Amino acid sequence: MAKREKTKKARKNNLVDQAVYDAYKDAIPADEIWDYQVEGLQKPHINKPFENMRAKKIVVVIILVIAISVSIFFSFWILHNDAFKYTALEDGTTEFTRFSNPGELRELRIDYMITDVQSDLQITKDEAGKEIRTTTYTLTRDETRPITAIHEYAFNCDEKIRVIEIGRDVTKIDEKAFYSCYALREIRVDEENPNYCDIDGVLFDKDCTELICYPIDHDAYLRERFGYVDEKTGETTQFWPTENWKNEGKDKYNEYYTRQYENEVNTYVVPSTVKKIGPLAFNYSELFRLYLPEGLERLETMAIFRNWHIERVDTYVGDYDGNEPKDEKFIPDGANVKYSLPDSLTYIGSDCFNSAIEMDYIYIPENVTEIGHHAFWAAARKENGKLIGLYEIHAAREQADFKENVTTGDEWTGEYDNGVFPKNVPVLYGETRLPLPEEPAPAESQK
Amino acid sequence: MARDTLAKVRSFAGDVRKHWSKPAEGRYVPYREYKDIFVAVGSNYAGSKLLEYIWFGASCYLFMYHYQLPYLTFAIIGLINMPLNYVWAMIGWVINDNLGFLEKKKERMLYGLYFGLIVIGLTLILAPISLLFNQNGAFVTFMNGLEGINCDSAFKILGTHILWNGWAGSRNIFWRKKLLPKFGRYKYSLYCDFLPKIIMVWVIGWLPLYNIPDMVERVWKANLLFAVYSIFGFGNSLEACAQNISPNTHERVLVRTYPIKLSHLAHSIFAIVLPVIVGWLPHKWEDINLYHWVLPISFTVFALLTMIFAGRIKERIPQPPLEKKVQINFWDGMFGVMRNKYKWVQTIVGLLDSLGNGMLPFATILYLYTMRLYGLAYSLIVALVSFAGTPPDLFTPFFMKRFSYKQIMIFYQLSRAAGNAVIVASLFFLRGSPTLCGIVCIVVLIFMEMTKTVPTSVGHDMDIRVNDYQMYLSGERLESFSGVFGWFTGPITSFVGLIIPLLLLAHGFNSNWDVLYVDDSRLWIIMIPILIDIVGYLLMTIPYFFWDYDDDKQNKVMAVLRRREEVTAAQTEGQVSTNG
Repeated sequence: MAKREKTKKARKNNLVDQAVYDAYKDAIPADEIWDYQVEGLQKPHINKPFENMRAKKIVVVIILVIAISVSIFFSFWILHNDAFKYTALEDGTTEFTRFSNPGELRELRIDYMITDVQSDLQITKDEAGKEIRTTTYTLTRDETRPITAIHEYAFNCDEKIRVIEIGRDVTKIDEKAFYSCYALREIRVDEENPNYCDIDGVLFDKDCTELICYPIDHDAYLRERFGYVDEKTGETTQFWPTENWKNEGKDKYNEYYTRQYENEVNTYVVPSTVKKIGPLAFNYSELFRLYLPEGLERLETMAIFRNWHIERVDTYVGDYDGNEPKDEKFIPDGANVKYSLPDSLTYIGSDCFNSAIEMDYIYIPENVTEIGHHAFWAAARKENGKLIGLYEIHAAREQADFKENVTTGDEWTGEYDNGVFPKNVPVLYGETRLPLPEEPAPAESQK
Repeated sequence: MARDTLAKVRSFAGDVRKHWSKPAEGRYVPYREYKDIFVAVGSNYAGSKLLEYIWFGASCYLFMYHYQLPYLTFAIIGLINMPLNYVWAMIGWVINDNLGFLEKKKERMLYGLYFGLIVIGLTLILAPISLLFNQNGAFVTFMNGLEGINCDSAFKILGTHILWNGWAGSRNIFWRKKLLPKFGRYKYSLYCDFLPKIIMVWVIGWLPLYNIPDMVERVWKANLLFAVYSIFGFGNSLEACAQNISPNTHERVLVRTYPIKLSHLAHSIFAIVLPVIVGWLPHKWEDINLYHWVLPISFTVFALLTMIFAGRIKERIPQPPLEKKVQINFWDGMFGVMRNKYKWVQTIVGLLDSLGNGMLPFATILYLYTMRLYGLAYSLIVALVSFAGTPPDLFTPFFMKRFSYKQIMIFYQLSRAAGNAVIVASLFFLRGSPTLCGIVCIVVLIFMEMTKTVPTSVGHDMDIRVNDYQMYLSGERLESFSGVFGWFTGPITSFVGLIIPLLLLAHGFNSNWDVLYVDDSRLWIIMIPILIDIVGYLLMTIPYFFWDYDDDKQNKVMAVLRRREEVTAAQTEGQVSTNG
C-alpha cells in the first residue's frame, strides 16, 4: 500500500509541471504568448518600447559614468604607492613605514623625511647598439623631520635596493623591516647612532650583542670586496662550484680557488660579543658556513630560515670583533672550533633551521631549554632512497631530562617522507658532541 | 527490511531498464543520459577544477613559487584594464544574448572593429609607446611608482588587453554562429576551445618566463602569456547544460542531485591523488615538474574524455526556434534585466559578498603553513573536508521541499558567520599550538562544508529560475546583459576588494608567501579578512528577506515558456495553433 502511494507521489512529481502546463495551454491564446502575465509576477515586456525611454537612458548613463569614474579614480589612488610613506609619532618625530621603489633606486639614506623624488632617465647605447637606460634620482629631505623608527616590513620584497644607510636619529628598527630584500648587500649605520652599528655592512645593536640583519645579497658585496668582479660588465661574478662544473671539465674549476671563494664569500663569522641572533637575521642568505661564538645564547625565530646551501653551523672559541683588513677574511682555525651549536645556547626559535637541507649534523647542547615549533622543518628528506639533511638530531640531555626540562613546540624535529606517511626525525638523547670532521686541504699545486 | 530494500532495488533496476532510452511520462531525460552526464560532466568538472592550479593570480602555485610577482600588481593590472572592459562588455552582451546571430551590416562592422583592436594591441605591445611621453614628467613618474609595473610595461599590458578583446570578440561571433545551432548555447565553446586549451596548458608549463630576472618584464610577459591562455575556455559548460536539461523543475533537481553530484567524484578522487603525486616530487608544490608534467597530462586526459561524451547530453530549454528568436537590442537588454526584481536581490547579495574579496585562500594557508601538511596526509584532509558536503547533498530534494529557498539561504549566511567566528577565536587563542589550532579549524571547515552543499544547490537553482523568469519577462535569458549589474557594483567591489590586499601588505604579505611562516604576521593576514567576511555574511541575510519566487510561480513561468515554444514552432511549420 505504502509502496503504491510512493509510486503515485513520484508520478505526481513528474506530472505536476505537465498539469500546470495543460491548464495554461488553454488559458494562453496563441496571439498573447508574449504578453501573458502570471499572477504575482511582473508583466512580460517583449519587442515593445519602454515608456520615457530617453529620460531613463540619460539617468542610467549619468549614474554609470559617475559610479565608474569615481571608483576608478579611488582605486588608482589607493593603489599608487608613494615611494616613501611615513607616520608621525607622538614625540613629534617620524617613523618610516613603507618604501616602494620609484623604479631603479639602489641606495637610500634614512635620516630625514623625504618630501620629493625627481628622476632623470638617460638613454644611451653601448658598443653593440644595445639600449642602456640609467635613472638617477634626486631626493629632497625635510631636515626638520628626523626619522627615528623604521616600521616592520618597510622594505618588504624590494628587489632593487642594494645599500641602506641608517641615520644617527634612528633609534628603533623593527626586526622585520628589511624582509625579503633580495638585492640588499649592505646596511650602513651612522657612527653617531646611539642604538645601532654596522660591521662591514651587517647590522648590529650598538654594543654588538645582537646581530639584527645579515643582508640577503651580502655575498655580492663580499664578492666585490674580494675582487670577484666581471671585467666587462663591472658586475660581481656569481661563482657556483657545482658538480656540473667538475663533470663538464671546465678549466675554471679548481679546488683551492673554490675553497678560498667559499671562505671569502659564503662564510660568516659572528663576532664574539654577540649573545643573540635576531629573528630572520640570516633569512635566505647564500651562506655555506656560519661560525657562532661560544657565549651565544639565543637563536631567534627563523634566524637561519631557508638557507638552502648552508652546510655547517659551528662554534668557535675566542675573541673576534668582526673588523678585519679589507682583503683578508678571518676564519677560526680548527683547534678553536666545535662541531655544531655553542654550549652557551639556551633558545632555538621556531623555524630557525627551516630548509637547512645541506646540513648533516646538529647537536643540541645541554643548556638549551626551549625549542620553537618546526625549528628543524624541511631540513631532512629522502632522495633516491637515501636520507639526506638533518635526518637525526643529537641532544646532550638524556631523554627523561630533556622531556622534563626542555620546552618544545609542535613538530620541532621536522619529518621526512617515508613511504605513505612522513616520519618524524628521531632524536638521539644523551649524546656527546662529535669531533670536527677532517677536511683535507686542497693540494698546493692547485694554488 | 532487507527484503523490502531488495524489492526497491529491483523495482528501480526495472525502471532503469524500461526507461533506459525513452524517458517516463512527464520526464525528458532517459537514464542512459544520466550515465553520459556522470562521465561527461565529471571529466569537464575535474578538468576545469584542475585549471584552478593555472591562473593569473597571486595564489596560483606557479606565481607563489616561480614567478613571485607582487600581490598588488594583479589588482593594478585589473585596474588598467577596467575602463575599456565596459566597452567590450556592451558589445559582448549584444552578441551573446542574440546567440551570435546579428544583422549582416552589424556583423561586418563588429569584425572590422575587432580586427582593428588586434592591430592596435600588437602595436602597443611591440612599440615603445612610453617614449612619446616626457620621461621625467608626472605621468611617467606616476606609472613608474606602481608596484611591479612601469610606464613602458603599462602600455604593453594595455596592448595585451586590447589584443585579447579583439581576438576573443571575433572568435565569439565566428564560433557562435558556426557551432551554436548544432551544439546549443552551453556546449558549443568546448568544441572550438578544447584543443588550443590543451596546447596552452603545456606551453605555460614549459615556457620559462619565470626565469626573467627583471620583475617588470616578468610581469607584462606573464600577463601576455596568460591572456593568450585565457582566450580559450574550458569552463564547466556541460554542467551548465545538464542543469538546464529538463523543463520539468523536479527532474532538474534530480539530475543536479544525483548524476551531476556523483560526477564530481572524479574530481574528488583526483584531489586525493594529486597531492600524493606532488608529495613524490622533490620540492612538493614548489616543484616545476607539477607544471611540466603532472597538470598538463592530467588536463589532457580529462579534456579528451569530456569531448568524447559531450555530444550525448542534450539541451532542453523551452525556447522558440532560432528563426523565431526574439531579437534583443542594447537598451531592451539593459532595461530588460533591470526590471527583474530577483536579479537585484542577487546583485545586492553579491555586493555584500565582495567584502571578502582579496582574501587569501584560508584552507590552503591552514594546511600548508599552519599545519605543514603535504603528500597523503594533505590529500586525506582535503578529501575529508570536501567529502563532508556530499552526504547532506544527497538529501537536497528533501531540504528543498521542507524549507523555502529564503530560509535555506539565510541559514547558510548565518552558518558561515558562526563558523568563521569560531575559526578566528581558535586562531587567536590557540596561536601557540599550531597543530591544535589546525584541528579545531578543520572541524569547523567540515561543519561549514556540510552546511554549504544544500544552499549551493539551492543557489544554482535560484540562478536558473531567475533566468527562466527573465526569459518569461524579455523573451531571452539575457545572461550576458545581466553583466550590467556588474557595472553598478563592479567598481565598488573592486574598490572594496582592494582594502584587504592593502591591509595584508601592511602585515607583510607581498610577493613572498614565506611571510606566512612568521607566526604573528600569519595570524593577522588570515584573521583580518575573515573578520571583514563575517560582517559581510551577516549583512547578506537581509536581501534574502525579499525573495518570494516560489515553486508555484516557477511552474507557471515554465508553462508560459513551453506555450511560447509550442506556438512559435507551429508557426514556423505554418501550422498556427487555433485552439488558444
